[in-house]
Parts: sequence; C-alpha cells; structure tokens
Amino acid sequence: MSDRIVVIGGGPAGLEAAAMAGRLGAPVLIVEKRSHLGGAPIAESYAALTHGLQSAEELMGKMMAAATDLDRVEVRTESEVVAMSGTGGNFTVTISSNGSEETVDAGAIVLATGFQHFDPGRETQQYGYYEFPDVITIQDAEGMLKEETFVTPSTGKPPERVAFIQCVGSRDRQIGNEYCSKVCCGISSKQAIEVRQQVPDARVFIFYIDMRMYGYWENEIYWPAQEQHRVNYVKGIVTEVLAKNGRLIIRGEDTTMGRPMEVPMDVVVLAVGMEPSPGTRHMADILGIATNKYGFVETVHDVLDTVTTAVAGVYVCGSATGPADLDDTISSAGSAGAKAVAYLRSGAEVPA
Amino acid sequence: MAAAAPVTTFATAGGATLSPDHYVDVAYEEKLRLWDEVKADPRFPDYLYGCYECGICVAACPSAKFYNFSPRKIAQAAAREDVELIFEQMNDDVWNCSQCFSCNRCPRQNSPGGLITILREVAVNNGLASSKAALEGYTRIVYKIMTTGTQVSPDMLQADAFPDWGPGVMEVSDNLELWRKALPPETLHTTSMSWQVDDKTLTELYLIWHYTGVMDLIAEVDEGLHMIILDVMEETLEEAGFEI
Amino acid sequence: MTSIIPIESLRMKPRPDPANAPTIDIRETLFELEAAGELIVHRVPEPYVEVMTKYGRTKRIPEQMTWHHKSCGQCGHIPGYSTSIFWLNRKLGFDYVDPTDQTSCTAWNYYASATSNAAAQAGVAMRNFAAAHEVGYYPLIHCGTSYGHYKEVREEIVHHADLRAQVRDIMGKLGKELVMPEEIVHYSEWVHAMRHRFAELQVYDLSNVTASVHPACHYYKLVQEDAIYDPDLYGGERTATVSALVEALGATVGDYSTFFDCCGFGFRHILVERDFSRSFATMRKIEVIKEEANPDVVLTHDTGCVTTLDKSQFAAQAHQRNVGIPVMSDAQFAALAMGAHPYKVCQLHWHTTDYTALLEKMGIDWEKAWIEFEMDVARIERGEIEYLSWEDAGV
Repeated sequence: MSDRIVVIGGGPAGLEAAAMAGRLGAPVLIVEKRSHLGGAPIAESYAALTHGLQSAEELMGKMMAAATDLDRVEVRTESEVVAMSGTGGNFTVTISSNGSEETVDAGAIVLATGFQHFDPGRETQQYGYYEFPDVITIQDAEGMLKEETFVTPSTGKPPERVAFIQCVGSRDRQIGNEYCSKVCCGISSKQAIEVRQQVPDARVFIFYIDMRMYGYWENEIYWPAQEQHRVNYVKGIVTEVLAKNGRLIIRGEDTTMGRPMEVPMDVVVLAVGMEPSPGTRHMADILGIATNKYGFVETVHDVLDTVTTAVAGVYVCGSATGPADLDDTISSAGSAGAKAVAYLRSGAEVPA
Repeated sequence: MAAAAPVTTFATAGGATLSPDHYVDVAYEEKLRLWDEVKADPRFPDYLYGCYECGICVAACPSAKFYNFSPRKIAQAAAREDVELIFEQMNDDVWNCSQCFSCNRCPRQNSPGGLITILREVAVNNGLASSKAALEGYTRIVYKIMTTGTQVSPDMLQADAFPDWGPGVMEVSDNLELWRKALPPETLHTTSMSWQVDDKTLTELYLIWHYTGVMDLIAEVDEGLHMIILDVMEETLEEAGFEI
Repeated sequence: MTSIIPIESLRMKPRPDPANAPTIDIRETLFELEAAGELIVHRVPEPYVEVMTKYGRTKRIPEQMTWHHKSCGQCGHIPGYSTSIFWLNRKLGFDYVDPTDQTSCTAWNYYASATSNAAAQAGVAMRNFAAAHEVGYYPLIHCGTSYGHYKEVREEIVHHADLRAQVRDIMGKLGKELVMPEEIVHYSEWVHAMRHRFAELQVYDLSNVTASVHPACHYYKLVQEDAIYDPDLYGGERTATVSALVEALGATVGDYSTFFDCCGFGFRHILVERDFSRSFATMRKIEVIKEEANPDVVLTHDTGCVTTLDKSQFAAQAHQRNVGIPVMSDAQFAALAMGAHPYKVCQLHWHTTDYTALLEKMGIDWEKAWIEFEMDVARIERGEIEYLSWEDAGV
C-alpha cells in the first residue's frame, strides 16, 4: 500500500488537486509534460481569465504557489507517464524524463491532462484559417491582447472592423463534435470588450447561434459588452470567409433580420471549441479508463460523481472530462484530490 | 409560371412577395397526408435532424439571393411540422431551389436541398397543380431523358429556345449535321441524342422506369406525355421480348 | 503601437489525419457488403495515382482502362469538352472505352423536375456501373452532377438495405449484378492526377496567362468527403482540383471573392427560368471575377458551370455589363496547352464568349486553325470523308 498520489498534469486542475491532497496530508507527485506549470493559460499566453477578468499569469502563479509551497508536493516537469501497472492502492507508475525512466509507487492517481483548442483546419465551413493571416483563433487573440498589441496581423495596424465567429468546431455534427464547448461565448465577449478598450475606434461584431452566457456571466460580461462597450451581436453564423481586394469579406445570414449579409472585416477571430488534449487520450489508454465518443474521460456517474473513474484509485478532473470553464475545473479538481485521499485512508471508493 | 416572380436585382429576402392565389388550397387533412408522405421517404431522417437557425445555409444559397426563398425556413417549417407552411412551400418555394446543395454545409447535417427533392417528388407524385405549372415547358426534357437516356440533345440548340444566348446558337443549329460529323469521337455523330446509345441499353432503361413506378409518376404530371413515352417504350420493349 | 505580429504569417496546415475523419470510410462498408455477398466492388485498376481527399484519406485515381461515363450536356452542347478528355487519353497513349452501353445519370432531370424517385435513380446508376464492370473498364464520370449524384446513390445503397434489395432485384431482371466502384472518380480528378504528365507534353508557355477557377458545387459540396484537397493549395481549405492544374501548366490562378458561389445553373432554371441563371452567373461570378482578377479565362470542371458561365455573358454584354471572359473546362485548357486543335478537338466554335484573345496570348493562330477546320468540314460536305477522325485530330 502506497500513500502517494500521482497527479498527471500541472495545469489549473492538477495544481488544485495536488494542493487539496497535499493539504489533507498526502505526499503528491505532479508529473507535467511541459517545462512549466500552469497549463493552457500559461502555455497559450491567456490575458485576463473568463470570468473574473483577472490576469491569467497572476492567478496561475497563486495556484502554483499554493501547491508547490507544500513540502509534500513534488513536481517533475518535462516528464511523462509512460506506463502504469498494479491496482488501486498499489500502482507502479513509470515516468520518463529527458530520456531516462524511473518507477514510483502510488496509492491513487489523479488525471488532469485537460483539453486542446479545436484545429480550425478541420471546420466544415470555409473560414480560411490556414489561408489568410488575418483569420485568427481566440487563443491567437489572447496572445495579442496580453501584449496590448491587438493588430491586423497582415499589416500590423489597428483594425477597423473585427468579427468573432462562434461555435467553430463545436455543436457540429459534420465534424463530430456535437457538444457545446461552454466557454467560447464568454471568452469571445471578454475579448470583444478588450479589443474595444485597446482599439477604441474598432467596430466589433459577434456572430452567434445562441449566446451561452449562463449565471453571472450574463451581467458580468454579456450586458457590459453590449451596454458599455457597444459590441454588436448578430444572430446568424458566418458561412465563409474570403478576401476581396486584400481585405477579408465574411458572408452569412442575419437571421433576426432575415437577410443575407456580406461585410468586410480586418480581423476575423474564430471561437474554436475544446477537444480532449493528446495527453488526455494517451493517458486514458495507459490507465485503462473509458472515454466517450469524443475522447473525453468518463466518470462513474455523470451527475453525482464527476471525478471517479471505473478503475479503483484513478480519478479525473477539469477539462479532461469534457468542456469546462475554470470555475468548474477548480471545483472538480478539489473534489478529485479529496476523494483520492479518502480512498487511500479508507481503502474504498467514496460512495457517490 | 406559378412560382414567385424572380427578382433579377440584388433584392434580398423580402424583396419579392408570395402571391396568395397561385395555388389551390386544400383541407388540412390533405396537407397532413402530403406531409406524412414526405416523412415516410426513407431519406427523410438523413435530410433533417433539427435546426438552430444559424443561417449558414442561407448565405451559401444562390436562390436566396434572388428569390424570396430561404433554405432555413424550409428546414424550420419541417422541424416544426408546420403543415400549413409546408404545404405553401411545397407549392411555391421548392421550385426556386437551384439544387446546388451548397446548403449541405449545415452543421446539424441537415440537407435543405435534399428535403426539397422529397417535397418536389411528393408534389409531383400527387399531381399538385403548382407542380404541373412549374414544369410547364419542361415536358420536352422529360420526354428526351426518358426515351433516349440522354438529356440535352444537340438539336435542342434552337435560336428561339435560347434567344439570350446570342447568334452562336443559330450558327450551331444551321451547321448541326456537319459540325456533329466534325467530332472525332465516334459516339458523338448524333443530333437527336447526346451520344449514340444501344437499343439494348434503352430497353434496360425502360425496364428500370417500369419497375420503379416512374411511369405512374409521369401520368400524374402529364397524361399526354405519359401516353407518348409509353408508346415509344412499349415498341422497344416488345421488340426485345418484354411485355409490360 | 508596435506592430508585433504574434502569429505566424504563414501557417502550414498539417495533412489532416484520417483517424480524425468525422465519417466512416464508405469503402470499408462496401468491402463488408461485398464479403456478405450483397454486391460486387469494382476495384480501381492498376496503375493508379493516389491523391488526398478532404479528411486526409487516400483516393485512387486510375490512369487508364477507364470507361467514360459521358455527360449529356457536354456531348450535346459543348462537345469539345468530351472530345478534349478523350484526346488527352489518346495523347498519353491510354486504353479507354467510349461506351454506347451508357445512359445519362438522369440527375439533371431529377434535380429539375422530381419526375423520378430514389429507386429509379439508383437503378440508372447501377445499370451503368454494371455495364462498365462487364467489359472490365473502370467508370470515369465526366459530369459533376453525375459524380455527385452517384455518390448520393452510393450512400443510399449502402445505408438502406431495402433500397439495395430492390435495386439488386431490378438488376437481376436485367441480367446484371449489383456492382459498386471502389471509388467514384470524376474526370477532373483524373486530370488533376495527370497534370504533371500534361505539363511534360505542353507546347505553349502559359506564364503570362491568368485563369480564375470556378469549383463545381456538385463536385465538392454534394458529398464532400472524397473531393481532392492539397495542403499546399489554398492552405488546404478549398478543393485543389482545377487550380492545381493551372499551377502545373505554369499559368497564374486569379483569385476572387465569390469562389464558393454556385454558377446559377439551377437545373430547371437554366431551361425554363433563365433570368435567374443569367443574373447569378454574371453578377455573382463573371463580373466579380473580372473586377477582382481580370483573368484571361475562367476554368471549371462541370457541364452546367461551363454552360451557364459562358452563355449568360451574351445578354449581359448587350446590357453593357462588365463581362467578357471566355469559359472552358480544365480538359479543354490542358488540351490547348498541349497543342490540341482549338476547333477539331476543343470545338471552341460551340462556345459563346469571345476566346480569341486568350488563344492569341497562348500563342495559338486561331485564324489559321479555323481555316483548317472549315477545310475539314468542306471535305465532309463533299463526301470525301464521312467524319472527322482521331487521325485528323492528331492523335
């Protein structure tokens, strides 16, 4: 019987799970593939987080400190789990770091390998991400917003007209991603506000199917975007993006007004959705846990237990289980950390 | 022409209006029966899942740019099972569709164009007056395709049929015999068919029309046309030893 | 503001991974049906060229032993289209069949009038496929609508057992088997696969020629998954067919903003409601192309598109609209570049919009060529020869 918990993934979910388990007294080992902790918010240079609008770097810094300040929490960066054997309470985990392998024992495992942004080259509309430099994704936009240099990439000049296109790679049967990615409406609206702040002369449009700004996002982001920042919301998605005389042109239907539209844009931002990260797919194989048809990890109950997998002693949290915002991620990660410790203490699953 | 008047400028939706009196109204039960026939088509489940009104189909649609026509409204009416609206569309909108299938880009994987194919078929099958009107001037084509197995023959290029295509049409028709002979492929020396088709091949084609009930469909659209085609077919089939 | 460009100005699209394809590979289903004794799969004959399709899968394009499924609109009204496809085959010394045991797909009528049904349409398709299989040549589909429609039929035959049984029964009555080709191949895919060989045989320099491309809706929209894409062309975001040929022949592709728009053909509209087709073809395509790319020629790869885009310009010119670009198929353009006769082979006298400036730019003496053609026609008229032969056409 080992009392160690191995947390795979050092993003927000892994950090929270590790901090929770560590505070509850368990020795924790975080295994992180990248050279740094903090996950996608750091790797993808997120600016302000949705929601709350606080700096991603600052918040991730706090999370890293909360985990790594604990003596019981160890970190291996640039490391990957390459094999797992044994059963709950007595796992042997093989970790590869810089070409050398070591094995560690573990009583429980928490999987926190997260998501990746949908590759817009796979969308079924015709948005030209790989064809036009001024067609970018929300994570491309985050990078520019963080540096406060939101420009038209091809010219380096501030844009006059910016369009956000929602549901790229989400809610799409043709692609096979029928789910809603939950966060893109909020992120786009947040970015639209930031664009308006950084480039006050720019007109900003959001083309959507349904705006999904649930709970406090409504009055924290959606209403201010319309009321204070004059972001234009148009119900109707864009069908195609092409160039006319060197400037992007978008075509779609303004469904509220019931008329086709064709308008020029300087920058088009694709609100790409979430897909399981390659790490999530790979680790699910290694750990022998089930995934759904989209490749996200399945838990034993989709309502009452969102972190326990069918393999005793293996827990999962954050966006490895499906599209999740940061609030959801932190909540499920705390739960996973706590349940892993409870499993080690009692030697049995916590009943759902 | 019964369909809504085409708008040849860039008038967007709302530019043209539906004429209220260009098709015959029927009892609700009859509309419901037609709708049930549409839904019973085996392709129907593949052509309509549901519609969240994103409008992708409309922006891709050429007909939506010229007519008061919206593939989104076709999908919506079908999804809502709005029997009254569907009947109206079946008598009118469906004939504006270009059948280019640009609308197949639908993220819900609907095919408004495919739905229209079924709606048209049901309209024709049931002999709706509007379908007969929409196909007026088209019987020549139906005759050609059904009897020769090729659709547009060289001798259809007549100046009076294509006055907007310029003097070249008349030049072709004036020189048709010679110019067809001046084609190197041996199969193209035809004037009344697109290419040379074997009698055996035509016999097989007629049998396909016969076995799949297409002849009954033609009878619904145009009894005269049905008689003429049947004459041609029966002769060929009899020679080949088939009784129908 | 600093002009930092934080994203790569050139993003190379990775070759799509077939493992991520959102559809089941229908060829696998076909082979399963064949193993279950439900139908025969007609294998692509060797040698073949492998090309990439939308989801990164590989499609086999046969080089020869092809059974030419002709197009009624091409043969009837633009005969230089079909003739050029045959000429290209002969120029490469390829074995092919131009069958008389072939009917049209009848889809033009079906999409126009709905005076048919799914079983009849499938019956027509499967009769043609069986006829090709019987003589051991592989179907090469000349028409974009036939190609798209046959792919629809393939989906229906595969997914609806009742329809499959019904059509198999009808084929049985005709003394035929139920045969489905392993790949449904459009002639423009064959042109695409052969483009570098064409370039080797090219006799005219096209470096000063600009061609704009109109992709056919029924080629890449009707059943989209097995249209050809190339990461090196349009970033892999648009079909590569036709555009890749233009590049291979050393001409310039003239891009424009209504690339994805339909031509306006409309099936019934082109015959009985042509004001729509004419307006769409000129206002949404030709005028936009002229204004933005001002090319020497518009190239496309389908019957209806050549017809609509070419013929519609006459009335528009009469109204002083900004039109006047010759329109032809990729096959005719390639044949011209390889020295095919503009009238004996490409039959450009059947086209409406003036093409002589293009020929002059390519270095072709069209006046001399017309005299040669007229002399041949005179020989036919005098009864010296019955028909123009392939020998007369130089292959």
